[in-house]
Amino acid sequence: MKLIEKLRKLFNNNPFKGFFKKNRMRPPGAVREDLFMERCIRCARCIEVCPFDSIKRANISDKLSIGTPYIYTEEKACYLCMKCPEVCPTGALDNKLIDIKKVNIGVAVINQDTCYNYLFAKDENKGGTAGAAQICNTCYNVCPFPDVAIILKEFILPVITDKCVGCGICVERCPITPKAINIVPTGMADKSRAGFYYEKSRLIYEKSQKSANGFYSGDNLLKKKRNIDTKKKTTDKIKNDFDVNFGEDAEW
Amino acid sequence: MKIRKLRKTTQILTMLAIFIIPMINLLEIYFIKGTFYSMDIGDLAISDPLAIFQILLSSKIFNITMLAAIFIPVLLMLLLGRVWCSFFCPYYTIVEFLAWIRKKLKLKSIKPKYKKGDPSRSNTIRFIFLISGLVLTGIAGIPILNLILTHGIISSQALILVKFGYLTFEIVFVILLLLIEFFLIDKFWCKFLCPSGTLLSLFKFKKGMRVKKQVSECSSCNMCITVCPMGLDPQTEGDNILCNNCGDCIDACPDNKKIKTLKFKI
Repeated sequence: MKLIEKLRKLFNNNPFKGFFKKNRMRPPGAVREDLFMERCIRCARCIEVCPFDSIKRANISDKLSIGTPYIYTEEKACYLCMKCPEVCPTGALDNKLIDIKKVNIGVAVINQDTCYNYLFAKDENKGGTAGAAQICNTCYNVCPFPDVAIILKEFILPVITDKCVGCGICVERCPITPKAINIVPTGMADKSRAGFYYEKSRLIYEKSQKSANGFYSGDNLLKKKRNIDTKKKTTDKIKNDFDVNFGEDAEW
Repeated sequence: MKIRKLRKTTQILTMLAIFIIPMINLLEIYFIKGTFYSMDIGDLAISDPLAIFQILLSSKIFNITMLAAIFIPVLLMLLLGRVWCSFFCPYYTIVEFLAWIRKKLKLKSIKPKYKKGDPSRSNTIRFIFLISGLVLTGIAGIPILNLILTHGIISSQALILVKFGYLTFEIVFVILLLLIEFFLIDKFWCKFLCPSGTLLSLFKFKKGMRVKKQVSECSSCNMCITVCPMGLDPQTEGDNILCNNCGDCIDACPDNKKIKTLKFKI
C-alpha cells in the first residue's frame, strides 16, 4: 500500500514541471507554470533586459527549475516596466502583453495577526491602545494601483481586491519581519483564498455591495447596526429628519 | 593569413562579447541581448537549433519566430560547415586554452592516437547520446538538454557574473567537464557528447565548405592526423560530419608551402 502511494506520487507529480513557493514569482506575462517549464529554454534574456535587477536566475535551491527566471520579491519586487515579455523567444512569456493591469503573476495576502494596522484596530476596539500598536499603511502607499488593488477598509484596514497583479512591491517594503504581506504566485494553492466557500462568500459580498442604492446593505448595514447604542435611554424626544411644521399655524 | 590566427581572433572576440554584451545592457542599450541559447541582434533572432527543437518536442508548439531563429545557424552550417564549434563556441575556446597550458607545462599528451574506426565510433556515441537526450526531453516534458549545454551555461553565467556578481550552481557541471578534459581525455565533450554540435552536424551539406586533398601524392608525414582535434584523417575524411572545419590540418601541412595540398573547398 505504501509502495503504490509512493509510485503514484512519483508519476503523477512530474518533478520537472516546477513547484510553487511563496514570494517567488515568474516574470510578468508568464504562461501557466507547467507550460512555462516546457517552453523556457533558460536563455536569460529576460534577466538581461530587466532594468531593476528584479528577475534572477534560479539556483540549486530551486531544484530542477535551475536556470529559469524568478522574481524573489522579498529581495526585489517587479516594478512592472514590461520590458521582459517582448524579448522571450519561445513564448514562455506572452509577447503581446503590454497593459500592466492585465499582469497576473500572483496575489498579495495579508497576515492579519501581524499587520500593524490590524493590530492597531484590534487594540482600539478593546478601548484605548497600549502604545505598542502603530499605524503603518506602507502597502497602501507603495501600491501601483491604490484604491483599486488595495483599499483601506474603514480608513485603516488594508484589504487586497481581485485587481491585485502580484507585483510584490508591498512585500518588499513591508517593515515587519517575517513579512505581514506575502505574494501567493498564480497557480499555487492558498488556504485563505481557495475553494467553494471562499468563492461563494466573495460573490455574496459583491452582490450585497452592488444593491446599495440609497439603502443600507452589506457592510454598511452591518456598520449601522453595530452603531445602534442600546444602553442609551429612549425617553428623549425623538428628532425627525424631515421638516414638520409645529408652528402657530398648526391646526391642533 | 593563417587560418589559426583568424580563428583565435574570432574566439577571443566571442569570449569578450559574452562579458561585454551584459555590460552594454546594463547601460540600457538593448541592441544585442541574450546568451548563446538564444540571441537578438537588433531584431534579428538567432537561436540554438537544439533548444528550439526541444521546445517542439516538449511543448508541441512551433511558431514563425522560432523558425526564423534557426535560419541563420542552419544556413551557416550548410555553407561553411560546423564553424560554430571551432570559431565561436566559448567552451571549445577554453578547452583549447587548457590544451595550450598542458603544452606549456610540458605534460604528456592525452590525445588518443588515430585509429581507423575511431571517427565512426565517436559519431555513434554522440548520436546515441543526442537521441536518448531528446527522448528524455519528451518524457520529462521540459528542455532537459539545456541544463547541460556548455556554451549556453558559460555565456549565461558570464551574464550573471556581470549583472549580479555571483555564479549559480550550473557552472559546477562545466568545471567538472573541464577537469576531465584537462586530466583524462582531450576534447571528449566536443568529440563524443555535445548534443548541440551533434544536431548541427546533421545539416552538414556535401557541397559546403570542407577540407580536401588537392593532389594525389603528398609526402605522407601524417602531420595533419597528429594535429586534428577531432581525431580524423583529414586526407580522406574531410567530409566526415565530425569535422568542425577548424583548419588546423591546413596550417600544419608542410607541403602547403610548395603546392596547395590540403585546402578548404566549397
